[in-house]
Amino acid sequence: MNSLALLQNSLVVGAILFALGLVGILARRNLIVMFLSAELMLQGISVSLVAWSRHHGDWGGHVLVIFVLTVAACEAAVALVFVLQAFTRTGRLDAAAWQSLRESNLPRTVDRELPDIDTLPQTFPTLAPAGIRPAEDENELLQREHV
Amino acid sequence: MIASVLSTISPGTILAAAVTATAVSLWLLLPKGGAGAAARWLGAALGVAALLGFIATGRRLGGLGEESVFLIVSLVAVVSGAATVVSRSPVYAAIWFALALAGVSGVLLVLGAQFLGVATIVVYAGAILVMFLFVLMLAQPAGLAPYDRVSNEPFLAAVTGAALLGLLSLSIGRLSAEPPICCQVPSRAAAVAAAAASPAAASPNAAATTTVATTPTTPPSAVDPLAENHVARLGGELFGRHLLAVEAAGVLLLVALVGSIAIVSRGTDAETGGGSGMGGDHR
Repeated sequence: MNSLALLQNSLVVGAILFALGLVGILARRNLIVMFLSAELMLQGISVSLVAWSRHHGDWGGHVLVIFVLTVAACEAAVALVFVLQAFTRTGRLDAAAWQSLRESNLPRTVDRELPDIDTLPQTFPTLAPAGIRPAEDENELLQREHV
Repeated sequence: MIASVLSTISPGTILAAAVTATAVSLWLLLPKGGAGAAARWLGAALGVAALLGFIATGRRLGGLGEESVFLIVSLVAVVSGAATVVSRSPVYAAIWFALALAGVSGVLLVLGAQFLGVATIVVYAGAILVMFLFVLMLAQPAGLAPYDRVSNEPFLAAVTGAALLGLLSLSIGRLSAEPPICCQVPSRAAAVAAAAASPAAASPNAAATTTVATTPTTPPSAVDPLAENHVARLGGELFGRHLLAVEAAGVLLLVALVGSIAIVSRGTDAETGGGSGMGGDHR
């Protein structure tokens, strides 16, 4: 793989990650998942920066990615505190719970009718039965009664 | 004789055959109950053949190894990134994001950024993601919340993302090895070399000087110019040319630490009128 092909492939990977993060931050409503999507966009940017840095043989991209890491750590600390505050105030991690902050000429987000959560068939993780059933020892059963 | 026969086949074919033979031999060798001894002997023979194939291809693979490694790690990154975005449970989204981080770290390693690949794992997966999981543990209601099961304008968001991706891919595909003359950015090393070569930059032959400065000193090749002494040179660059920025980043970290603590305690006071609320336990 020559330098230009590697650059193009890495840039495409970075672009895909960025676009995925953009879709997530636009569409999801959970505040924490929105934050994860923002971090995914940062990852795409990091890949692109390092690819350019390798292509030009320069350290600028590497240094910039280090600062992206630093700012992402700061941003996550502050933003997660805000998320916790929002959760303690509303009891939900819903971005639409704060839609009273919108512009006055924008329509209100109305939730679609969802099936009630109790009517959904819930699936819980189960352990597959393994091995053979041990033979029951009568003495042991008697001892267990007294423990 | 075997080597001469093998040298006529392309290494990629040999590698694919060796991988397939490995899989088949392992499948044959694994205990399945009721399999005869002949099948296991066949499996062992296939395993030896696969080993020979790996040895035969090992020296002649060339660029194939890097390409396949890049393909695998970028597939891991992209697939788990998509799973991060589309998982309904935020906990699963966080776990998928950890896998995406592993893939991104692999891409960075293939690109020759050793320090950044490790730092991504340590800082993101070790610190930031654990913080996300802590907040999820504190703030996640039982069961799937309704806002996790419905998206905000999913069609428009998907169209937006796809359009952005298409435009970016178009512009990436139009990249050429040499940028046009008008937009060439001289690399720093080339600029320094040009300045040393011609002290009188304002001479009438400035056009010739510009041409010298814009030709990259390192022609684009598969060899990474940043590979040797990587971490030491990155540290020298970071603490030499970007020293003030490093100090500003340190101040930023301190401000974020103090600020988050201040926000938590003030919010707790406003909510419950005391320090014994839910926010007080979060630290």
